[in-house]
Amino acid sequence: EQLLNPAARKLAEESGLNPAELKGTGKGGRVTKEDVLNAIEAKKSA
Amino acid sequence: MSEKFDVVVIGAGPGGYVAAIRAAQLGLKTACIEKYKGKDDKLALGGTCLNVGCIPSKALLDSSWKYHEAKDSFNVHGITTGEVSMDVSAMIGRKDQIVKNLTGGVGGLLKANGVTVYQGHGKLLSGKQVEITKEDGSTEVLAAENVILASGSRPVEIPPAPVDQNIIVDSTGALEFQAVPKRLGVIGAGVIGLELGSVWSRLGAEVTVIEALDKFLPAADEQLSKEALKIYTKQGLKVLLGARVTASEVNGEEVTVKFTDAKGDQEITFDKLIVAVGRRPVTTDLLAADSGVTLDERGYVYVDDHCATSVPGVYAIGDVVRGLMLAHKASEEGVVVAERIAGHKAQMNYDLIPSVIYTHPEAAWVGKNEQQLKTEGVDVKVGVFPFAASGRAMAANDTAGFVKVIACAKSDRVLGVHVIGPSAAELVQQGAIAMEFGTSAEDLGMMVFAHPTMSEAMKEAALAVNGQAIHVANRKKR
Repeated sequence: EQLLNPAARKLAEESGLNPAELKGTGKGGRVTKEDVLNAIEAKKSA
Repeated sequence: MSEKFDVVVIGAGPGGYVAAIRAAQLGLKTACIEKYKGKDDKLALGGTCLNVGCIPSKALLDSSWKYHEAKDSFNVHGITTGEVSMDVSAMIGRKDQIVKNLTGGVGGLLKANGVTVYQGHGKLLSGKQVEITKEDGSTEVLAAENVILASGSRPVEIPPAPVDQNIIVDSTGALEFQAVPKRLGVIGAGVIGLELGSVWSRLGAEVTVIEALDKFLPAADEQLSKEALKIYTKQGLKVLLGARVTASEVNGEEVTVKFTDAKGDQEITFDKLIVAVGRRPVTTDLLAADSGVTLDERGYVYVDDHCATSVPGVYAIGDVVRGLMLAHKASEEGVVVAERIAGHKAQMNYDLIPSVIYTHPEAAWVGKNEQQLKTEGVDVKVGVFPFAASGRAMAANDTAGFVKVIACAKSDRVLGVHVIGPSAAELVQQGAIAMEFGTSAEDLGMMVFAHPTMSEAMKEAALAVNGQAIHVANRKKR
């Protein structure tokens, strides 16, 4: 299962992103808030 | 036929002994060479840190703080005492016992892990051979697959104030005063100078710290160094900045120090003078001319990012190589090198090494400070929480200082944590752990912190980054 930092989990839910589809750059593949912010940017420009 | 080892470590300080233990744990046949002798004239392991550095200074800092509290703040709690006095030789004796226990403990750990300890001076010859010169002058040569140089550092000496270990002392001598000097001078307002100055100031010495730089604690966050200077000054440390020592003269039991600052030539007379201007790497008779190991222009053993020297199979760690001269930095390099020798791909994060000054309040930090980030052009958000607003700090009668969290304005990622106040080192370590996992300020703010604890100041500072602190008015958004 995908490991998300707390703020990343909240932001993912707020932006309707599926946590399982997020790519984590943190230690051990952990998804950081920065990763979610980048995913939101990518979704916007897609 | 010389004995052959997988790993020979020269030096048994926090870098060397940890490297030796880790290497032995990984199944490598390991030897560790040390020559330092303690007060009982017997081999003492543990290096500067255990014998004349971290541990003894903390022992004296804790004893002197208790005395200071008993004398000056027990009345706050309604406690009255008779006259409070300090038996300096008993305080030093307690310190010596702690050092003895710990250095003995290191010997026990090395033995338990199967590390062979050699007493003597280790020197790297060519072809990864290490020569040990014993006290009686005899020599023995060990053959090694790998060598780890961990020879450490020593205090920098300055020509205007040569150390005699009586009136003019270095940090080692300052841990051995048998009475409180009435007037104490300290050259150098770095970590060592401030800690030793604090010890004797609390016990009644009139302390003047003479610093050549114009800036106080230049490596620290500016907001923190400003607060620290304010607090230290209030505690009675007189800090003179931009004051360059030009000469000193010992007359009987006192010394007159001449220096030049913005006001011109000046002089002050002290009963003891501590020279604490820095430390330099020790490579004395460490390398044979044909060892192949190169030094850099400042006298450090030249190493790459993984502590490998110019000779394959020869590594160097700790104070004798580049980077912060801290015990935990040396130890971690020792672990990384031992693991790399054993074939693991160990990594060390040099960006997250905490620094601590064990004054009271403590000062500690990890990551980058505000002025560094400004120089790098990084847009940041800052959250600050004062201990004056902490219930736990009030209960402890220990409310000076603050926690400062710095985050990237765009990503909210925490880039630095800076604390001056109670348990600063522990709070900064919480920040370092979170940063290791890529924390945002919001992450820290969303965590549940026990109440009442000093740690709550960290949560509140993290919340303050985004203007959401509860127990302090948030700064208006710009």
